[in-house]
Amino acid sequence: MDLFFSLTVNGLATGMLIFLLAAGLTLIFGLMDVLNFAHGGLFVWGAFSGVWVYDLTGSFWLGIVGAIITGLILGAIIEYLIIRPVYGNHVQQILITLGLMLVLSELIKVVFGPDQKAATAPEYLQGSFMVGDVILIKYRLFIILVGFIVFGVTSLILKRTRIGLIVRAGVMNKEMVQTLGVNIRLVFMLVFMVGAAMAALGGMLMAPYSGVIYAEMGLEFGILAFIVVVIGGMGSFSGSLLAAILVGLAQAYMAYYVPALSLAVNMLLMTVVLIFRPQGLFRVGVK
Amino acid sequence: MMSTLLELNNVQTHINQFHILHDISFEVPKGEVTVLLGRNGAGKTTTLRSIMGLNPPTEGTVSYKGQVINKWKPHMIARNGIGYVPEDQGIFGDLTVGENIRVAMQKEDETTTEHLEWVLELFPDLKKFWKKPGGQLSGGQKQMLAIARAYVNDNELLLIDEPSKGLAPIIVEKVMESILYMKEKTTIVLVEQNFMMASKIGDSFHIIDDGKTVHNGMMSDLKQDKNLMKKYLGIA
Amino acid sequence: MQQLRLNFEKSTWIYLVIASLLFILPFMMSGRSIMFLVMQIFIFGIFAMSYDLLLGYTGIVSFGHAMFFGIGAYSIAIVFDLNEPTMFYLIVGVLIAVLLAAIVSFVVGILTLRLKSHFYAMLTLALAGLFLVAAEKWRSVTGGADGFTISVPEFFKDRTNLYLVCLIVMVLFFFGLRRFTNSPLGRVLMAIRENEGRTESLGYKVLHYKVIVSVVSGVVASIAGVLYMLSLRFVDTSVFATEVTLDALLMTIIGGVGTLVGPIIGAALIEFAHHWLSDLSDVHWIFERWIILFGAVYILAVIFFPKGIAGTIQELYRKKRKKRQDNKEIKSEDKMAG
Repeated sequence: MDLFFSLTVNGLATGMLIFLLAAGLTLIFGLMDVLNFAHGGLFVWGAFSGVWVYDLTGSFWLGIVGAIITGLILGAIIEYLIIRPVYGNHVQQILITLGLMLVLSELIKVVFGPDQKAATAPEYLQGSFMVGDVILIKYRLFIILVGFIVFGVTSLILKRTRIGLIVRAGVMNKEMVQTLGVNIRLVFMLVFMVGAAMAALGGMLMAPYSGVIYAEMGLEFGILAFIVVVIGGMGSFSGSLLAAILVGLAQAYMAYYVPALSLAVNMLLMTVVLIFRPQGLFRVGVK
Repeated sequence: MMSTLLELNNVQTHINQFHILHDISFEVPKGEVTVLLGRNGAGKTTTLRSIMGLNPPTEGTVSYKGQVINKWKPHMIARNGIGYVPEDQGIFGDLTVGENIRVAMQKEDETTTEHLEWVLELFPDLKKFWKKPGGQLSGGQKQMLAIARAYVNDNELLLIDEPSKGLAPIIVEKVMESILYMKEKTTIVLVEQNFMMASKIGDSFHIIDDGKTVHNGMMSDLKQDKNLMKKYLGIA
Repeated sequence: MQQLRLNFEKSTWIYLVIASLLFILPFMMSGRSIMFLVMQIFIFGIFAMSYDLLLGYTGIVSFGHAMFFGIGAYSIAIVFDLNEPTMFYLIVGVLIAVLLAAIVSFVVGILTLRLKSHFYAMLTLALAGLFLVAAEKWRSVTGGADGFTISVPEFFKDRTNLYLVCLIVMVLFFFGLRRFTNSPLGRVLMAIRENEGRTESLGYKVLHYKVIVSVVSGVVASIAGVLYMLSLRFVDTSVFATEVTLDALLMTIIGGVGTLVGPIIGAALIEFAHHWLSDLSDVHWIFERWIILFGAVYILAVIFFPKGIAGTIQELYRKKRKKRQDNKEIKSEDKMAG
């Protein structure tokens, strides 16, 4: 029973990391019709730059801030230089963002060196609680908490603010939003930056969780995030949280019980969704 | 003398490799309803989209209040006081009626509030269903929402694309009535296939055929001219 | 019409001349490494052509094309490993490779080609990852990440023989695929690329055609994988790596999408670049990170040079011919006026 419980906590934590990646992906896709294959690259950049700041200053929080700033800056540059010239051309977009993904991963090795880097949680997030005979690892709970906070704040912004309103409207009908006097290009850039920052945050949180970061993890997590976006429904923000948790849990249980199938089970999940509900499991009511 | 609010001069528009508009030229006098008539596929909708900057003209000029706007982005055109009601109404289905209108409100100043109040008086249904998702409204209500949304900013010109399309006759009557009210406040360019409606609301008309403005005049004269109607509109 | 036909034959002649020059190449020179390099160009030329069939002719983006390459390489390697490396088992291996590639590409195609283009890209990316993991984990058969060496039939141990086989296969595929893309079916594919909705409304079952292309492309790619294994006599999980797909992408894009000859030119360029850049890595470590360079070139090519080398040349040629034709018309008009 406690094994099952700790696997569940594990799965939730992994799910939250994937969610941070998938949330940006799904928003960017929904609003801009761009499937950003380079999103995993932002995840790695967040991890490396965050850990670098963390090592330099000794402050985990400054590391997080560093990762977020890296995400925002990279997001702005990428949107402006790489994505903007190919808006509206799907094939070109797909091709270009994949190229970008590889460049971003390789640049990591140039900037931070080719070796993997170790990272540990700050002392106050190390260790665990005992609840009954269940061990709860602090850092995992922390990740889950951060995930829910990001979800909550973003949902609130989407629901309550004018910019959130515009983003939701833009997901449904970009053209109409423009004819109501909204500069959609600015909104695109903002959403891309925020999405990139979320991915970078996810990468930074990932570092002490797995203990080690390496350039290739961007593609690995990127694939999981794609699976999540397909399962959750492209463009659906809450769908991406639910699907991320689902994928995270499936991953955690399978990694323990049938390790060889842990990636396969998510692939299978995605395949089933693609066959029976290509619009995604949690997508309802949107034409 | 009536002043001209909007003027199109030899507007040509390509969409991808297709040459859709060949020569669209007309003037829209302030305070009037100008109707664009023509067969399906003649280029009426593209004309409105070209004015709005959604399919920017490749040749020719569009001037609005003396400024040449055909190189502007749609949002700049909108901010300068042109409201647009597309053929499919462009309602945000998941947003409530209130949110649909709030997206359109660029400012929350007195004029906008005034406009909002006036529009809600004109369309009491919108007030009633304020919290209902736009996607669940009836066709007529959607049309009213789209018109209200286009008007709520201090817009001096409304471009309305086939408001009667797909609506039951009794609803068409209602929509028509509301446009007649709007007419007192603002200038309108109307694309309309429903001749009864066009002739009741319109002051002047322009006929578009195969991407060209081929004929114009006063609406009251058109009603007499059976030949013209048959030739370009296919109505006898 | 007459001129078009003549021209078609002219380009065919040029290709045949180049092919026969390549045929006598091994008898003219003895450098082993250069011969191996040219052989790799043939193999990747085949692989990139199969990719061009998807991307260039039908507008389908695959990010997991390496899996078909890998399927080919592993099928033949495993068959040789479990049996004798004889010509009979070569045929068995090729049949298995083709069958597997056909099944996988069929299933992937049926699942995702009715959806928007990024679904195919995504599913192939994920599936290729799955094959990579499977090859790593299924140690008893695949030898894990280290891979395994294999002995090949006597005939292929001779470099010249192998070289000629690779060349012949490439030439056959080149003309075969050119026939395929010039056939009525190929025209439908190009119509799909230009405007899918319109093609569908003309009554063509778009999905049907796309799946056919997906299968043909997968099968051709698996043959490239078979040749690759034969040339290296070794196989490891790197055949499933994203880099392999990326190579095909680069070759196709830089060489020129939708031209078939472009991917071969691209393969030559990229293989030479690989070769030189790895030499250069002794000079400066930055050359070890050649993916950055390739990636940057690739991104710039997508934005500014979408037609690629062959595409640009073809366009120039077409323009020149048109000009010449125009001139002729003007002249004859002059004559008539005179």
